[in-house]
Amino acid sequence: MKKIILGFCSLLIILASCKKVDDSSVFTQSADQRLTAALAKDQAKLSGAQYGWKALVRTNAGGNFTFYFSFNDSNRVKMLSSFDSASAVTLKESSFRLKALQQPSLLFDTYSYLHVLADPNPASAGGAAGAGLQSDFEFYFDDANSTDDKIELVGRFNGTKTTLTRATQAERDAFLNGDLAKGLVINKILNYYKRITIGNTDSVDAYVDARSSYIISPDATGNLLDDSLGTNYTLTLGGLAFAKPLVVGTKTLSELSNINFDATTNSITAVGDGQPITITGVVTPMRVDVNAPSRWWNFAAGQGSYWITETGFHINGVDDAQHIQNLPGYYGFSIFWPEYGTSGGVNYDLFAPIVANSSGNASLAYGAAYRPPVFNADGRVVFRYLGTLGTVPGGANATYVAMRTQLAITRGYYLVQISNDPVSPAYHMVSAADGKAWITWLF
Amino acid sequence: MKLLKFSFAIIMASSLFVSCKKEDPLGPLENIPGLGGDEWVQTGIDKWIYDTLTVPYNIGVKYKWDQGEIDQDKTLVPPAESQIIPVMDAINKVWIRTYVSQAGLPFFKVISPKFFILVGSPAYDRGSIKLGTAEGGRKVVLYDINNFRIKGMPGYNPGVDTPGVIQMFHTIQHEFAHILDQNVRVPLTFSTSSANSYTSDWLNVTPDEAHNEGFITQYSISSRDDDWAEMLATLLVNGKSYFDNYVNSIDPANVTATGTTGAQARQRLRDKEAALVTYFEQAWHIDFYELQSRTRAAINNLLY
Repeated sequence: MKKIILGFCSLLIILASCKKVDDSSVFTQSADQRLTAALAKDQAKLSGAQYGWKALVRTNAGGNFTFYFSFNDSNRVKMLSSFDSASAVTLKESSFRLKALQQPSLLFDTYSYLHVLADPNPASAGGAAGAGLQSDFEFYFDDANSTDDKIELVGRFNGTKTTLTRATQAERDAFLNGDLAKGLVINKILNYYKRITIGNTDSVDAYVDARSSYIISPDATGNLLDDSLGTNYTLTLGGLAFAKPLVVGTKTLSELSNINFDATTNSITAVGDGQPITITGVVTPMRVDVNAPSRWWNFAAGQGSYWITETGFHINGVDDAQHIQNLPGYYGFSIFWPEYGTSGGVNYDLFAPIVANSSGNASLAYGAAYRPPVFNADGRVVFRYLGTLGTVPGGANATYVAMRTQLAITRGYYLVQISNDPVSPAYHMVSAADGKAWITWLF
Repeated sequence: MKLLKFSFAIIMASSLFVSCKKEDPLGPLENIPGLGGDEWVQTGIDKWIYDTLTVPYNIGVKYKWDQGEIDQDKTLVPPAESQIIPVMDAINKVWIRTYVSQAGLPFFKVISPKFFILVGSPAYDRGSIKLGTAEGGRKVVLYDINNFRIKGMPGYNPGVDTPGVIQMFHTIQHEFAHILDQNVRVPLTFSTSSANSYTSDWLNVTPDEAHNEGFITQYSISSRDDDWAEMLATLLVNGKSYFDNYVNSIDPANVTATGTTGAQARQRLRDKEAALVTYFEQAWHIDFYELQSRTRAAINNLLY
C-alpha cells in the first residue's frame, strides 16, 4: 500500500512540477505591438523618402517596367510608369495602405498605373483574358533583402518581385521633368530597321515593335525568325534597358542612357554600357533574304490561295495609314491573291479589300490587278499595276487609289519572314524606296 | 481509512499546485492592427458614401482592395477612384430611390443588401464574364466598374457604353430579385408553364433558342431561380415596351427542337410576367408597373 501511495505521490509531483517557461525574454513586446511597430516603421520609410522611390516592377508575362512612387503619410501615392508615353509623364494619384495580412503588407488599393499591368481585361495592357500581364499590386515586405535605401516587395498573388530604390533629388527632378519618356525617341526613327552602331565599329539592324516593347535583329538569312536574337526592353530614366543583352556585332548592349534624337540627321545618339552609340534609319538592310519574295509569292500561288492583311500599310509611323479599316463595309481584312485571273492573256495578281455585300457576307467586290511580279536578284519584288477589277464605290475611291498606288512603287519591296509556321507563315513586306512603309502578310 | 484521508489530502494539495496557473496580462488590446476594420485617412469619396448611403440606408461601400471579400483565385483589380461616386450615384438614382419612392423607406431598409463591393475589372470565368454576385442577401459584388460611363462623363459614347450601364443595373436588380425571393418565396405558379425546359447546360443554349423557348435571356433557362431574377431585372431595366416587343417577336408558327411552339413560348413569358406582377402586389404591396416606369425613366435620365 505504501508503495502505491508513494508512486501516486511521485506521479503527482511530476504533474505538479510542470514549471512554466518564462517566455517574456524572447520578445519584450506582444505580437500585436511588434506588428504595429513594423507597420509604422514601413510607413515611415515609404513616406520618409524625401524624393520618393524609383522602382523596377517585374511582371510574369509582360517584361519589366520602371515606376516612380511618392508616398505620403495619409494613404496617398503619386506615380509614373514606363507603360506608355502618357503614363511616363503624367503623375497620377491613387491610394495605398499598409495592412497586417500574413506579413506586414503594402496594398495599392485603388486603380493606378500598377493595376494597368495586372488588369485581367486584355484591353488594358494585353496578356491573356482573365490574367493580364500577371503582375501584382498587393505586396509583402521582404525585409531580409531590404536595406535603408532599398525595399524589396513580393507580390501576394502572382509572386512577382518589385524593387524600390530611394530616389535622389536629381532622379526625382528627372522623373518630374518627363525623362522617363525619353527612351520613346527610339520610335522617332520611322524606318522598319534601325541600325545600332557601337563606337563606329560594331553594328546591327534591329526591328522595334513599340506596342510590345520588343526589339529583334535578323538571323543569318535576313529573317526575324530567331527569338534568341530578340528581347523585351523597358523605359528607364533617360533611356532604355534590355531584358537580356542585345548582340551588336562582336559586342553586346544591355542599356541605353542619355538618349537624344536629332531630327535633322534622323538619328539617335546615346551612351550604351559606357560606349557611344548611334542609331540611324535603314533603307537597305545589311542582310536581305533575296529568295524571300519568290518564296512568299509561290507559297500562296502553289495552293491557289491568298495572303491577308488586316490593317494594310503602316507608313511613316502610322498603322493603317490609308484607313483601309474605314472602307465602307470593310470585313476585317484585305487579300493579295497571286494569279487570281487572266485578262488579255496576262495572269494577273489581285490586291483587294474584302467588304460585306448587301446580305452581310464577305465579298470581293473590287480590287487592283497587277502583272506578274518582277523578282530582282537583290531581293526586291516589284508590282506593276494593270487595272481595276470591278467597280469601286465613291466612298472607297480615295483609300483604294492610295493602297493601289502604294503597292506599285517602282523601287518595290523586300520581304522579311516573321513566322515560319509550316501552315500559316507570316511576312513583313517593306518598302525598298525608303524603308518607312510596310505591310504584314498572314496566311 | 486513515490512508484514504491522507491520499485525499495529497490529491487536494497537488491539485492546488496544478492550478496555480499564472495569469498573463492581456496586453495593450487597443493596439491590435486591423481590429475594428481597415483604417485610412478619409477622403471626399468616403464622406460622400457615408452621407449619401450609410446614414440614410445603412449601406456600406467597399471600394478599396480587399481580396478577402472576393474570389481568392481570380485576377481582379480595384476600381479607379474617379468611378466610385458616379457609379454609386447612378445606383442610388436607379435602384434605391425608385424602390423607396414606390415601396417606402422601411421596405427598403429591411430588404436591401447592406454591403457593396466594387471591383474595377470583370471577373473572367470559363470563357464568360461575370459582372456581379450576391451573397446571403447582404453583400453584392459589382465588377467592371472601371468601364462604367454615363452622360456627362468624359469619353461617354452612347453606342459603346450604354450596354455596360444597362448590364450593371440588370446585375443589381437580378441580385435584389434573389433577395426578395429569399424573403417571401415566389409562388410555384411563376415557373409552372416553363418548368420542363430548365437546363443547367444553359451556356450551350443560344439566346435565340432561349427566346423561342419562352425565356427572357439565355441565362434564365438555367433554373427557376434565375429565370425569376432575369425576368424581374429585364422587366425593370429594359422596360415594358422592350418586353412586349420581345414576346411579340416570337413567331407563333415556330416549333423548337424540344417541341415548344411559338404560341406556348409567348404564353410562358406572359404567365411569368403576370405571376411577377401579382407577387409584387401580394407580397410587397408594390404596383409593379409604376415601379417599372420609374426605373426606366431614371435610367433614361442617366443615358440620354
